[in-house]
Amino acid sequence: MSGRCLERAAVIFFAVLSVACAGAPAASPGSGLHEFEGTWTASGTRRTLPLGEGRTSSVIELEGSMLLSGAGRPGVGFRSEIVALVDSASGLTGRGVWTDERGDQVFSELTGTGTAARNSIEGTIVGGTGRYAGATGTYTFSWQYMIESDDGEISGRAVELKGSVRVGAPPGNAP
Amino acid sequence: MISPSLVLKRAAPFAIAAAIWFAPVPAGLTPQAWHLFAIFVAAIASVLIGAYPLLTSSTIAVATVVLTGTISPAKAFSGFANASVLLVVIAFIVAQAVVKSGLGRRISLFMVSRFGGSSLGLAYSLVLTDAAIAPAFPSNTARGGVLFPIALSVARGAGSVPEDDGKRRLGGYLMYCTMASLAVSSALWMTATSANPIGVQIVREAGLSIGFGSWLLASSVPALAAILVLPILVRWLFPPGVTSTPEAPAAAKRDLASLGAWSRDEKITAVTFVVMVAGWVAADHLGLNVTSIAFLGLGVLLMTGVLTLGDIAEQGETLGTFLWLAVLFALSGQLNELGFMSYAGERLASHLGGLSWPVTYVTLIVLYVAIHYLFVSQSSQVLALLGVFLDVGARGGVPVPLMAFGLLFASSYFSVITPQGGSQNIIFAASGYLKQNELYRLGLFVTLAFLAIFLVLGTPWVLLVAK
Repeated sequence: MSGRCLERAAVIFFAVLSVACAGAPAASPGSGLHEFEGTWTASGTRRTLPLGEGRTSSVIELEGSMLLSGAGRPGVGFRSEIVALVDSASGLTGRGVWTDERGDQVFSELTGTGTAARNSIEGTIVGGTGRYAGATGTYTFSWQYMIESDDGEISGRAVELKGSVRVGAPPGNAP
Repeated sequence: MISPSLVLKRAAPFAIAAAIWFAPVPAGLTPQAWHLFAIFVAAIASVLIGAYPLLTSSTIAVATVVLTGTISPAKAFSGFANASVLLVVIAFIVAQAVVKSGLGRRISLFMVSRFGGSSLGLAYSLVLTDAAIAPAFPSNTARGGVLFPIALSVARGAGSVPEDDGKRRLGGYLMYCTMASLAVSSALWMTATSANPIGVQIVREAGLSIGFGSWLLASSVPALAAILVLPILVRWLFPPGVTSTPEAPAAAKRDLASLGAWSRDEKITAVTFVVMVAGWVAADHLGLNVTSIAFLGLGVLLMTGVLTLGDIAEQGETLGTFLWLAVLFALSGQLNELGFMSYAGERLASHLGGLSWPVTYVTLIVLYVAIHYLFVSQSSQVLALLGVFLDVGARGGVPVPLMAFGLLFASSYFSVITPQGGSQNIIFAASGYLKQNELYRLGLFVTLAFLAIFLVLGTPWVLLVAK
């Protein structure tokens, strides 16, 4: 059993991993309407406050990787973060920020009904920075699963992420 | 005088880090995640190629990520307060009490008197003991804390010490067999590690309900085969030096009889250990934290003078282990939090479109196992990637039960791929009986063997029994 074998295996593995990640072409969204779909895998924390019989309220913070598909997608993916207040009686309200590889951001407001798990959540894009300045649009997603581990961390995967975003010139620069 | 090849070897991790760091940030990742990946890969690669020990590479890595502003100090150092990391350290210290008190010698003589005719017999006794007690232990780190003092005592009893290169091999053999056994026994029983119930929850969302019995039925053939093969495989990969000792059982019986009555320290250690084990077994039902139980045991041993501060001071290896484990735990966790892990998983999986389902299935399992090089926790990978890989497999036409069980079992046996791949490994890795390059080499080959067994035997069996 040679040490070289291990070295080669390690080099091959990390090379494949790096190429698989780096192989994603950077997208530069032109102005106009972009339709997209994708997935979002996220982890974070949830703090729950009981509000009497059968009612709870939670503050959740999630961050993770959102990957988009579709010819019109505004980018290959984003780092996506949300903070939200979830009330089992009145639903979810939250805010989301997507950040791309250049640091440009997309801001959105989120609403949903019931708890965070197993629900369709709607997002309204309300602007952004850099190439997403002035962006508008809507999107929806639902949680495939949301799991809480022993140490209080939550992890989930959102599927059926679909929406559209209109990317235009920043306000004031429009012709 | 350092040889030119060693200079090149030691420069390579820095070159790897710089090459990745300054490469364009892939679309969809933030610079922060990409830079952390560069440093983490360089740290792991430096150990794999033998440039630096894990402690050296991890301390340089954590200093770099904080000083470059890649992640905050609070996040970089969060591993030092992690319960799993602390459990490893405390379990390691507590194990020394078993040896010091003389209880270890008694256990060792008993084991040798029963199974000591060969090194293989000793290894099987440890591996089968683990398989038998595993379903009662929801924490495989705690199970490691039970088995380590036994393996250590047997090794010491057979005259194997880490300091003597000629005599350490038997100890190293027993340590590695026990460590790898924890990985595969966790695949055998649904309740043998905390990562399994998490995986079962994720799989349930895909429409497959798995219970204790259906898990055991599906795992029984490949996991038992792996358990039976393990001591023979490790003996081939890492010959223990001593193979046959036909006279040892009779000698051990005589020595055991001459030991006489139990000493005060032996009794205190035994009772403390039994209480700790009972606490670990019942921890889930009683809502007890397993690390706190270990702290209580250590406190009792210190209070009664079985262990002293001097004994702890002698465990310098423990401090080194604590440092590198805490750092790698935090950095790997941050890679996950920053979305790199799921990004890498999704990207790798996305290249599988258009393949037949058997090829998709095998490729996904191999990728899922290989990517564990980046993880320092089984649960973290289950949470980050199991759902992603299951979804890709199902969309690629792989039968959901097969994909689900394949990933669930891999989530246990892949933990042995690196010494930091599961916190239960660390206790054995820190024993000093195995060098780091040996741990990585054995990790690669034993994981490949497990992978082959679970794919070749497990696949038809799961297709037959799991619907």
